Amino acid sequence: MLGFASALYVVMERSVQDHVDHELEKAAIAAAHSLEEHRFGPFLLLDDLAHAFPELALIDKFFHIFGPHGQITLQSANIKSRGIPLSRASLRAAFEGHTTFETVRFQNEIPIRLLSYPIRHGDTLMNILRVGTSLRSGEDMVSRLMFVMLIGSPLAVAVSMLGGWVLAGRALRPVDSITLAAQRITGGDLTQRIHTTSKDEIGRLASTFNDMIARLETSIRQTQQFSADASHELRTPLTITKGETELALRKPRSPDTYRAVLESNLEEIDRMSRIVDELLFLSRADLGEITMTSGPVQLDTVVREIQSQAMVLGNERGIETILEHSEPVQVLGDEWRLRELVLNVVDNAVKYSPPGGTVQLSITTTDGRAQIVVQDHGIGIAPDEQREIFDRFHRTDAARAHAQQGTGLGLAICKWIVEAHHGTIDIDSVVGQGSRFTISLPLLAA
Amino acid sequence: MRVLIVEDEPKVASFIRRALEEESHAVDVCTDGIQGRDMASDVNYDLIILDLMLPGLAGIDVLQALRDARVKTPILILTARSKVEQRVTGLNAGADDYLIKPFAIEELLARSRALLRRASGDTTSRLQIDDLILDTITHEVTRGGQRIDLTSKEYALLEYMMRNAGRVLTRPMIAEHVWDIHFDTFTNVIDVYINYLRNKIDRDRERGLIQTVRGSGYILKVPTG
Repeated sequence: MLGFASALYVVMERSVQDHVDHELEKAAIAAAHSLEEHRFGPFLLLDDLAHAFPELALIDKFFHIFGPHGQITLQSANIKSRGIPLSRASLRAAFEGHTTFETVRFQNEIPIRLLSYPIRHGDTLMNILRVGTSLRSGEDMVSRLMFVMLIGSPLAVAVSMLGGWVLAGRALRPVDSITLAAQRITGGDLTQRIHTTSKDEIGRLASTFNDMIARLETSIRQTQQFSADASHELRTPLTITKGETELALRKPRSPDTYRAVLESNLEEIDRMSRIVDELLFLSRADLGEITMTSGPVQLDTVVREIQSQAMVLGNERGIETILEHSEPVQVLGDEWRLRELVLNVVDNAVKYSPPGGTVQLSITTTDGRAQIVVQDHGIGIAPDEQREIFDRFHRTDAARAHAQQGTGLGLAICKWIVEAHHGTIDIDSVVGQGSRFTISLPLLAA
Repeated sequence: MRVLIVEDEPKVASFIRRALEEESHAVDVCTDGIQGRDMASDVNYDLIILDLMLPGLAGIDVLQALRDARVKTPILILTARSKVEQRVTGLNAGADDYLIKPFAIEELLARSRALLRRASGDTTSRLQIDDLILDTITHEVTRGGQRIDLTSKEYALLEYMMRNAGRVLTRPMIAEHVWDIHFDTFTNVIDVYINYLRNKIDRDRERGLIQTVRGSGYILKVPTG
């Protein structure tokens, strides 16, 4: 600001002087012209000039006409008593045919700008015309500018600072509210949202921020739900082992009673290990730490092997697992995980089948994809629950009542394996009639 | 006393039932909320042990429904969640006490005893009529300082009568509070057990504590006149 003010001052001063010089030069040329015409006849220089060149504001200018040796021969009427002799430098310059500009300053008076203009006739210097003008108006202007600069600049700075502060305050208020909301969120309150109506960059930032918090809130709620479910699933087997053991120890029991308690406890311990293993698998899957091999897998062989395992699993309750269709199908993937996937789904089908029921299996190429279908005739799943069965720890009430040994994680793991192989798993089920699981995987490119 | 367990996890329900039966209680078990609500409304239970996570109807809704229907039976809730809110919700909905799974079986029995004691208006775990004393913790019964050995059913019958001393107890009332749901109402089992008890408690005494109210049932009280 100060730099600008000083630069402006210098430029103004220069331009004022240029303007004055230009005016002087114009007046000098006009006067010289007039002199030429009159050839030193008696004339009223100023009146004539004013008449001949009305655009010249001559009132503030005065004229001297010097002889070729610097002696005053004529001066305009508006000049006061003071005679300013021609300087040597300008006289010499006039001899050489140059015009000279000078600024003369008397003590405590307004400086005067002088132009010395040689009037020549051929090569001979006839006269020297000097035009002078007071620099009062220019000086005034520059000093007024100086005043404006000195008082105005700090004022302008102050005003613009205040304005900037107010504007910035208004513009940054939403940023403040974002900061506040962020602080409350850090404090654990994820229900916080930023309220803004502006549609500018800040508004967009706020709405992006709100979206982010919403996603964060959902994800944290899911995590909390997951750990609550996990702890619940582990508490049940713990309650059983603790309760049964404490009850057995209350008084002496028969060896058969102890045996029954130990067998039951072993079941619960197995259930806990399974939950812990599956939880560990899923949390490692979430972190992307599950490594999978990738190679050609003969899927129909896998399905056939699972079918014979399922026969063993269903043996006790007379459940038969039939392989209805089988085509040679090859996919690319992790054979061990795919085996786990098919076993999980088939094991579920066996578990929820009524005694003496059948589970139908098929492995085919359908619509250019490998398709495994597992059909049971068990309890089925209500339509509103079908979507949720792949969620972690989601077990339908019916499933809980039916198969107490489930962990509620099996289908979540199946879904993860299928998706890791770029496939899909779907359920189609009618309550009381059974469920059909369809696994679809991309074929191995030939 | 008669206890209802509403718990969907069969093994949990089973060991609680066995523990309570060892305490001479008559125990019924049901595994879903709707059945639990209906049973608790039909039978005048002395204590209900209610799991909060149930299929059919959530435990908290069972609780609400029973309290709305003015069922005053003490209710002990079981929860697998250690969160305070759920326990607070349960207590606010009318539960009398709660236990968090996994719990110690002795604690469950102690809390059950406390709830039964409060419901019958007793202040200690020792019940006394005249010189007949029954200790609900040790299950020791003495008369005039003499120890009396009772079978589990005899003990259950005596405990019920002592908790309701001075009141006329009809056969259906006795059946409801001492026997479980498998009781066959067309037998004279109650009279048989009353006789067993009389033989052990009032033997060799001119007028016994257990008195017959003709046409109604029985009453346990200090003989007058």
